[in-house]
Amino acid sequence: MAHDARRERFIDDVLAGRLSRREVFRRGAALGFGASALAAALAAGPGLARAAQEAGTLNVSSNNSDPEPRRFMEEVTVPGFTTKTGTEVELNTVNHEDFKQAIRTYLASGDPPDVLTWFAGNRMRFFVERELVAPVSDVFQAEGWETAYPEGILAVSKGADDEYYFVPTNYYGWAVFFRPSILQQAGIETPPQTFDELLTAVDTLRQAEITPFTLGTKAPWPAAAWFDYLNMRTNGPEFHVKLTDGQAAYNSPEVKETFANWRRLLDAGAFIEQPEALEWQDALTPMLQGEAAMYLMGGFITDSMTTEQEQDLDFFSFPKINDVPVGQEAPTDGFFMSAKAKNAEQAKQFLAYVGGRESQEAAARDPELARIAVHKDVPLDIYPPLVQKQVTLLQEADYITQFYDRDTSPEMADKGMAAFVEFMNNPDDVDQILDGLDEERKRIFENG
Amino acid sequence: MAQISGSGPPPAVGVGSVAGAPTVAPQRRATALLRAGQRRADWTPYLFLALPLALYAMWVIGPMFYSFWMSLTDTDGLTYSEFVGLANYRRLVNDDIFWVSFWNNVKWLVIFITVPTVGGLGLALLLNQDLPGTRLFKAAIFSPMVLSSAVVAAVWSWVFFPQDGLINSTLDLLGYGGERIGWLADPDLAIYSIIGAATWRQIGYVMLIYLAGLKNVDPSLVDAAKTDGASSWRSFRDVVFPLLQPVTVIVVVISVIDALRAFDLVQLMTRGGPYNRSNVLGFMMYEEAFENYNMGYGAALAVVLMLISMVFIFTYLRRMLKDELEY
Repeated sequence: MAHDARRERFIDDVLAGRLSRREVFRRGAALGFGASALAAALAAGPGLARAAQEAGTLNVSSNNSDPEPRRFMEEVTVPGFTTKTGTEVELNTVNHEDFKQAIRTYLASGDPPDVLTWFAGNRMRFFVERELVAPVSDVFQAEGWETAYPEGILAVSKGADDEYYFVPTNYYGWAVFFRPSILQQAGIETPPQTFDELLTAVDTLRQAEITPFTLGTKAPWPAAAWFDYLNMRTNGPEFHVKLTDGQAAYNSPEVKETFANWRRLLDAGAFIEQPEALEWQDALTPMLQGEAAMYLMGGFITDSMTTEQEQDLDFFSFPKINDVPVGQEAPTDGFFMSAKAKNAEQAKQFLAYVGGRESQEAAARDPELARIAVHKDVPLDIYPPLVQKQVTLLQEADYITQFYDRDTSPEMADKGMAAFVEFMNNPDDVDQILDGLDEERKRIFENG
Repeated sequence: MAQISGSGPPPAVGVGSVAGAPTVAPQRRATALLRAGQRRADWTPYLFLALPLALYAMWVIGPMFYSFWMSLTDTDGLTYSEFVGLANYRRLVNDDIFWVSFWNNVKWLVIFITVPTVGGLGLALLLNQDLPGTRLFKAAIFSPMVLSSAVVAAVWSWVFFPQDGLINSTLDLLGYGGERIGWLADPDLAIYSIIGAATWRQIGYVMLIYLAGLKNVDPSLVDAAKTDGASSWRSFRDVVFPLLQPVTVIVVVISVIDALRAFDLVQLMTRGGPYNRSNVLGFMMYEEAFENYNMGYGAALAVVLMLISMVFIFTYLRRMLKDELEY
């Protein structure tokens, strides 16, 4: 193609240093090269561009294995990047759950992928501490992301040394989702704002023979959402973060108060019977069938609903309990770069691309994906109304957390989530459960 | 393994044992030949064994010792590794999840030794007769064995599903509805439900082994017993079952090994839940090593699991060798 031939010639010109700086940007932009790529090429000199051409293939490992995210990655993100920079990408997609285990071997191997998808916060810091992730603060500065991303997101993109290691791309919120028609049927006009109102709503729904909350804890993480919110609303997000960092005790009076509140919900019959039998998708069915009213869930709940079902869906922020700052969960996904990346410069170009407004806006505009972009320049009005409301909720939050299994160590998450499910089964054993959990905390965080 | 019977040609080289040779002369001849063989080239067998032994050492023995070494460290399998002595084992004996998993393995073991053995033998006896349709039943009962664990788990998860699963719907129809039983959700039931699914699959396998065994039972012995006026039960108890004894040993050993390495159905049906009540040692090891990044602790679990297996394997081997020598 003529266009390609022109691009080839242009690259040759840049390599040979035949063009002035202005010339590079003018002609480069006309040929579809991104400004950052051109800047990077110029900054590093002709050698880099030569390397970019010869080393060629950038190796990206992705956990976007669900159909829609996978399609977007394969058909939009990667081709977009290749068109923009000329760098070919070899994309390797691994099942989301398997990826969590495989990433350790990837990163520790002698020939790791250049760029990998991962989670912000402690999950990322685990590998940063082991010096397996490359710092990318230079990309943040070059792209001006320190003003383009929200504060809370910047915080979870940093390692303990205050360097940036993680490029966030999108996040999703958590809230109490409900079907307005069902609440109305039971005579509840306004969603509960406080814990007492919530308990009243639970009673009202029980009297109308509707299960107040559906829940599936076969995979135990949805129980962790309950713990996170009850603990944040009871003791405030700062205490909660201290706890997930291993700095506070699970058998402290604060945590016991959290579980006492949880107990009140259990005693009021707030939850569906036998949540242990259900996956989170299974638990959605009673709500869609009109047998359950509410569901504490992430924004991805709509992935499993038809557009028609989404018409009768709304959410409210988890009700207030004590007078403490409001924390919200907003797990953030993104990319980082292996410390041993062979194609380090191209990897940084890729990070600059996925962290940039253009690519994030594309993901936000995609009707099937509707991920909330991290970049603040992505206009709010492109989202569906329900997502817009989520963004507002998160922007109003005093504190953003990443979710229990991302905020704490993987091992603590495993023990903690099992304990939450056990508590819901045997609430009388709460003291014993919390003592056991604190023994685990001491052991896990002592080892570092 | 090599046994010399009759006056067939004796082995050229001294591999295996010469035991119970029927007459004195061939025995002497064999012994003489053996001695000669030993003198001539007593390294020959080792030469033949060299390659398999090297591979065995590399892929089995080596990793075994490496696992043992790892179990004495606190390695995360990634970057750091510090010698911690027996700390992992001390943690193990104080870990409630370990004991729950251990006893679940024991339950699995006991049920696996008894139920499929009895059920499989019963079915084999039933279907070993020349009645119309037995082939169909044989195929139907054996077919679960050819299904992958993923399919077995998916089918049984549906059977056990509390809302409209097969069992609870049937109970509803029979009028025993009422409270829906969460077969996989109830902490006390979950492990038995999984073992039930595993047993369903195992029975067909055991049946097939017994059917093969029954083909080797000389029918004239049964006829002779019948002629002597033995009842069917007598002829089974005193003639057929004793003749099936080697098969029974194999069946029990297979069941023991399958019970100890239980993993797939647990992983697929409950992930050890609710709260580890249906956990087994194999799955706990996997979780600790690969999900919780505790390679050292996972290795300690692996070592314990291996020691338990060894108890059974050595018992079995001793019996096998003893039986062989006694023939």
